[in-house]
Amino acid sequence: MTRDDIKYLILDIIQDIDDEAEFDNLDEDKPLRDQLDLDSMDFLDIVMELRKRHKLQIPEEDYPQLATLMSCVNYLEPKLKDA
Amino acid sequence: MPDHQLIIIGGGLSGLAAGIRAARFGLKPLIVEQHSLPGGLNSYYFRQGHLLETGLHAMTNFAPPGLKHAPLNRLFRQLQLSRKEFTTHEQIESEVIFPQTSLRFSNDLNLLCEEIAVRFPAAIDRFRALVKEVDAYDPFAERPWQSARAFLRSRLADPLLEDMLLLPLMVYGNAEEDDMDLGQFAIMFRAVFLEGFFRPSGTIKDLLELLLAHYKHFGGEIRFRAPVAQILHEGEQVRGIRLQSGEELFAAAVLSTVGIPGTAEMSGWPLQASRYTGRMSFMETITLLPELRLPPERSGKTIIFYNQKERLAYHRPSGPIDASWGVICFPGNFHGMLHDGPAQVRVTNAANYDLWRQADEAEYLRLKEVCGQQAGAAVRKILGDCCQHPLFQDSFTPLTIERYTSKCAGAVYGSPVKIKSGKTPWRNLFIAGTDQGYLGIVGAMLSGVTIVNQHLLK
Repeated sequence: MTRDDIKYLILDIIQDIDDEAEFDNLDEDKPLRDQLDLDSMDFLDIVMELRKRHKLQIPEEDYPQLATLMSCVNYLEPKLKDA
Repeated sequence: MPDHQLIIIGGGLSGLAAGIRAARFGLKPLIVEQHSLPGGLNSYYFRQGHLLETGLHAMTNFAPPGLKHAPLNRLFRQLQLSRKEFTTHEQIESEVIFPQTSLRFSNDLNLLCEEIAVRFPAAIDRFRALVKEVDAYDPFAERPWQSARAFLRSRLADPLLEDMLLLPLMVYGNAEEDDMDLGQFAIMFRAVFLEGFFRPSGTIKDLLELLLAHYKHFGGEIRFRAPVAQILHEGEQVRGIRLQSGEELFAAAVLSTVGIPGTAEMSGWPLQASRYTGRMSFMETITLLPELRLPPERSGKTIIFYNQKERLAYHRPSGPIDASWGVICFPGNFHGMLHDGPAQVRVTNAANYDLWRQADEAEYLRLKEVCGQQAGAAVRKILGDCCQHPLFQDSFTPLTIERYTSKCAGAVYGSPVKIKSGKTPWRNLFIAGTDQGYLGIVGAMLSGVTIVNQHLLK
């Protein structure tokens, strides 16, 4: 997957979790949670969807690496390079 | 190799929500339900061509779509159900009636504030401060039991107002007698006064069918008429269940939604069952009328919470029922509901499980008759003769509740002592539902979701 593919994957997952999510003014370097008003339960769903869709096991200590859209891309790029 | 990754005991609202959550993320759960219908306490039955709901008066925790952090909307996101497509009807207006005075409230907190300002002028500023305090309180943090009454006494300094606020909160969710835990109070206060009552459009049957279809869509399995005899275990782990038919089913984890006493009985969990058996049970009478003619001062009410004594006696009555306080609900009186068919009135009173249990069949039927008349007389004092000449009438007693819902001793709100962590002595056996500490329909479902999130998905 390219970096753009990963970005769209994350946005697609968030759309799936919250059909009211608005991405128009999303800042890639700011926390997703604050901008999209997600709570910890929603956040767990991002992790769960990644596991379901790509068999990725993300340990709890790595969750902070999924804080912003850009950090998600950085963290997932090596893991999804063959996906 | 176990047959299932997860077996869920009980197809009530917490079990269905847990099942949807687990199935959504590929756990392939199996729900085993003792009856032929889902819903547990919130189910339905048919009599003389009428669909009658068993538990639902109103749902609490109303929130319009868009309020992302509201429990209702959070629940819908967790279950991947569309909140926008879920049509809701808010309450019109409810009332707490005591001999001394009455208080009206709706889903707009301003009405309750105005009422308190008029009837308890000295307490209105204190009440507003209390609202802020409850709103900021985290009821899900683990902390020792604290008295809601002591809290209210110190904040409001008005025993009558305290009783009047507690009546709806207690009768819709308190498993303890006379007092309640501050955390449970905060949950109920928000659910009822800050968020409010509503009904989904249609009946509980529609909601259950929606949940069941969604569960199956994610690959979940359910078996009806499959009562569980035993939870099988070996050392620190459970291995699965044995059904009453003798069939054994093995699972990597088991989630029980049948309450603490029921789970203990099936598993041999050594605990003092009496401590976890609630004493608050109820008798409920459903009356169908050709039309509802309420006296003008009560017309358009959704729910009436009444008390005919000086103080509120929220405890198990010494007689079969206590008709001196209770709830009168008009399930048709919600905004925007279509009225076709007969009008319904539901009257709920506290009941003494032991007295109903001890009665033989003839005595049981006599009690039902006598108590129905007592409840009717109490209602007449408030509503006049509006409930005469019913088309149909039927009552549930604590025994009906116990038989159909696995609520030990007919205690609809379960154990007075909750296990918030959902953990049991076995590493892979968990509990969810009423005895985990969330309340109401939204609460029960959030309980199922939370336990699956915490213990099975992470």
